[in-house]
Amino acid sequence: MAAGNPILQIDNITLAFGGVTALNGISFDVAEGEICAVIGPNGAGKSSMLNVISGVYVPQTGRVVFREQDCTRKRPRQIAQLGMARTFQNIALFQGMTVLENILTGRCMKIRSTWIEQGLNIGRARREEVENRRAVEEVIEFLHLQGIRKTPVGKLPYGLQKRVELARALVAEPIMLLQDEPMTGMNLEEKKDMSCFALEINREFGTTIVLIEHDMSVVMDISDHVVVLDYGAKIGDGTPDEIKNNRDVIDAYLGVTH
Amino acid sequence: MIYRETGTFITSYIEDRKLFPIPFDKWAMALFMLFMVFVIPFIASDYWLAAHLIPILAYGTAALGLNLLTGMTGQLSLGTAGFMCFGAFFTFNIMLRSPEWMNLPLALMLAGTVTGVIGIIFGLPSIRIKGFYLLVSTLAAQYFALWFFRSYPYFLNYATATVTLPDHHFDLFGIGETFDVDMASFEAKYLLSLGIVTALALFAKNLMRSATGRNFMAVRDMDIAASVIGIPVIRTKMLAFFVSCFYCGVGGALFCYAYLQVLGIRTFEMNRSFEILFMVIIGGLGSIAGSFYGTILVYEFPILFSWAGDYIFKGAFDTAVVDNVAKIMYGILIIALLIREPGGLAALWATAKQKLRTWPFPH
Repeated sequence: MAAGNPILQIDNITLAFGGVTALNGISFDVAEGEICAVIGPNGAGKSSMLNVISGVYVPQTGRVVFREQDCTRKRPRQIAQLGMARTFQNIALFQGMTVLENILTGRCMKIRSTWIEQGLNIGRARREEVENRRAVEEVIEFLHLQGIRKTPVGKLPYGLQKRVELARALVAEPIMLLQDEPMTGMNLEEKKDMSCFALEINREFGTTIVLIEHDMSVVMDISDHVVVLDYGAKIGDGTPDEIKNNRDVIDAYLGVTH
Repeated sequence: MIYRETGTFITSYIEDRKLFPIPFDKWAMALFMLFMVFVIPFIASDYWLAAHLIPILAYGTAALGLNLLTGMTGQLSLGTAGFMCFGAFFTFNIMLRSPEWMNLPLALMLAGTVTGVIGIIFGLPSIRIKGFYLLVSTLAAQYFALWFFRSYPYFLNYATATVTLPDHHFDLFGIGETFDVDMASFEAKYLLSLGIVTALALFAKNLMRSATGRNFMAVRDMDIAASVIGIPVIRTKMLAFFVSCFYCGVGGALFCYAYLQVLGIRTFEMNRSFEILFMVIIGGLGSIAGSFYGTILVYEFPILFSWAGDYIFKGAFDTAVVDNVAKIMYGILIIALLIREPGGLAALWATAKQKLRTWPFPH
């Protein structure tokens, strides 16, 4: 998809835990409507980067600007309200709930009725339940989850849990979607499905996607823009073709003779 | 063969959200409620009402309150009896110090609300701490309640230890005088408790199948993920404390008004908190009906065992010995139950229903 104006600007982010610097002066832009892949060897700081963007971590220096609003010190909920949704590396579903309930939680920001109306099950609360259910059903259909609506998520295999988590993020109708290793631990078939979903989400809803992925063939195939991190520093930033030929990136992945 | 979904076709999202999706369940529940309202008051003796049904309803309300907090939202609490204490004392004081038009159900709601606000204050530590640490900090509520009402005898109307709750507090809109019925009879107290408990249980059930309930469970299961998808975690926890303490407060007030007939501080010692926690764990954490199953088991079994002991040994042993053996038996039973089914009675019941649904074919 054609890249537009920057929707997300990462400006000189530094994040340290005690003595360990996880991110060191990282800057990059994500354009509206693109699929941006963040890659790098283990421990490069990719997940930390995503946690900074979604507000789970607060960086020591630097700024995160999302939709022209400074999000650096905003809480995760406030950032979610701006239209950002994400999935986690280790599946972060609500284990005690069914697939349907899990996906419904993704609609929590659309709820206008108060808890008293919900407890009495009157007017607005009833209507909202039906509206939200309709939105959830659309996502269920989109991601082919029809057969497992009422299954407790804990009983599902890994690949399906990942898909339910994607559904939960998607049902919030995000403007930008962050995916932390959506395809790790999946077989070829499941990876293909997940890549297709990412592309469809991007094309159909115009959602900007930032994803972390290790599988280079997937990354090179689906992304418009690749950012490479290594030891908390940015070593590459460009189109997949530019990255393929970037000397530093090749060194970081394959090693370099000293 | 009656008990199944076959033949019930769900054609709208509203229907899929029904409380009783299986018609058999709906009719069984309706019959049960009719029986509880129209038959029980006429056939049950005062002993059954006063010593079994009413205390179960009162305990059940408090257990439901704790279950909303601990089972649904995952916030451990040992302050239950403290919150019951607040509820009972506030109800008494509202009834005592208000003009004529005040009535017991309204006073219960007001006292519940005040207790809920106190619950929010004692729930504040939950913003930063979890699990056992929170459990310890909720003990503060327990001790504070007892200290507070001991220190300010005003709230007990300057009585020395207990106050007998006056009968006229039970009169509703002058119904008693107009129709010449005894509103302070056990039948009336039972019906009042039943009405309040049914309304509160229904409210809880509705809450749990709506957005608020899902927020509660999301916070319980994984609060970081909850905050990232936009659930206001702190607000949700505070709301859970409010609703839970509202229920506990009403439960405490019913406990004194409908069951004990007297109000005193000693009623709400630490033991009571533990008792209600056991009810919730045995009944099933996170299940509304489970709160009541647990209440019935924890309340009735010691009575049943000690009665059975007396009956079998017919005074061959000292009653104290028989009583203690009964308690040991009861303890063993509970351990066995929790090993067999950690989800408590509610989980057992769900399994049984599932079996019934697929019977006679196991798959």
